[in-house]
Amino acid sequence: MSSDVILVIVVGTALAFDFTNGFHDTANVVATSISTGAARPRVAIAMAALLNFAGAFISISVAATVANDVVNADVITPTIVFAGLIGAIAWNLITWYFGLPSSSSHALIGGVVGSAVAAAGFDAVLAEGLVGKVLIPAVVAPLLAFLVAGISIAIIYRVVGGERPGTVNRAFKYGQVVSGGLLALAHGTNDAQKTMGVITLALIANGSLGAGADPPFWVIFSAATAIALGTYSGGWRIIKTTGTRIIKMDAAQGFSSQGAGSAVILASTHFGFPLSTTHVINGGIMGAGAAKRLSAVRWGVAGNIVTAWVLTLPAAAGIGALAYGITHVFGDGALGPVVVTVASLALIAALFMRRAERGAPVAAEGA
Amino acid sequence: MTATIVEGKALLETVIASVVAGIGVTAVFAIAIWGVARSIDYSRDERPLAAGAAGAVAAFALLATTAALVVGILVMTGG
Repeated sequence: MSSDVILVIVVGTALAFDFTNGFHDTANVVATSISTGAARPRVAIAMAALLNFAGAFISISVAATVANDVVNADVITPTIVFAGLIGAIAWNLITWYFGLPSSSSHALIGGVVGSAVAAAGFDAVLAEGLVGKVLIPAVVAPLLAFLVAGISIAIIYRVVGGERPGTVNRAFKYGQVVSGGLLALAHGTNDAQKTMGVITLALIANGSLGAGADPPFWVIFSAATAIALGTYSGGWRIIKTTGTRIIKMDAAQGFSSQGAGSAVILASTHFGFPLSTTHVINGGIMGAGAAKRLSAVRWGVAGNIVTAWVLTLPAAAGIGALAYGITHVFGDGALGPVVVTVASLALIAALFMRRAERGAPVAAEGA
Repeated sequence: MTATIVEGKALLETVIASVVAGIGVTAVFAIAIWGVARSIDYSRDERPLAAGAAGAVAAFALLATTAALVVGILVMTGG
């Protein structure tokens, strides 16, 4: 009975995390289309929400990685997963509060790894999976998007550089409807799967599923719905950040950055790599900007992204470990997670009120 | 060790797929736009044959772009 209560709390927390993931990633997915005028904000967001939902059903490779290849499912309990989620949410809130751009995906994995280490020591971590499937792709993917977008825009300028700008611009705006849609689909498939993976991990830990099991349909459907609703609710205040703060883009740059982001995320998803979609999308944007003119990229903003990128995994792991420690003080039953949930909700409310008093943060956060 | 080799191979395939799909699709779409722009210009200059040829290049490139996207999605959904 007690473990079922914890499981319900874990599923609720994971879906709330998924909702917030969609909420602040709206900016990353639609900003490029909006800033180049390829789509109106309302249409872009509605389309992104729909394609995020559809994307969640495309693959389960990433969910399998999160559930089976990062931490040892044999020593994981629903409480460990819960503490990991709290670590991720807390780090997301801290970075949101200070306006730092961070990755929800890295926060999630960092949180779960931290709480697992706190509970069962370093044997709880599957080092090969963590390094091979998370850490190395985390470095490679944004650089790859940077390179692909840079080469793409160079080819585009070479091919259509001599043509009338009006015709070319209009055509690339049409192209951006497709590339933007593809990016939303890619985002949905990689990000929603992380939540599916965490819920599946909790179900395995609770004994509700066997080791190595795939996510059940209800898990896929609820994760897809949560991320789509979050995306539709939209991060309106931070929409401008990704689209215009890093570089001012034309439609061709928007198309190449979205194309590069989609290609990298979809290919990585196919092989089960849980990526930070934010870092990949920003890598693509910077590549499209740098290929035209190095000074077009606001390297200060890019530097903040890299700083948050490096900090996220260890910081979320530390908070996840702390959350597990606090939860554990109340014993192995449901009391610990209930107390931590109530305390977290109170803290979130306080943070939102304080933030509202001080004004909105401007940096993009995301997965 | 074996797992690392497997991940390394998957990562290499990811890099190749990303480069081929990202750069390839963009390049082919750029050719389509070039075809459309040329076709419009040739039509204005009353050169119907050249306009038709540029239009055909545009149509073929658009078709290739669409095909690449469909294949990409099919590969994804195929697991």
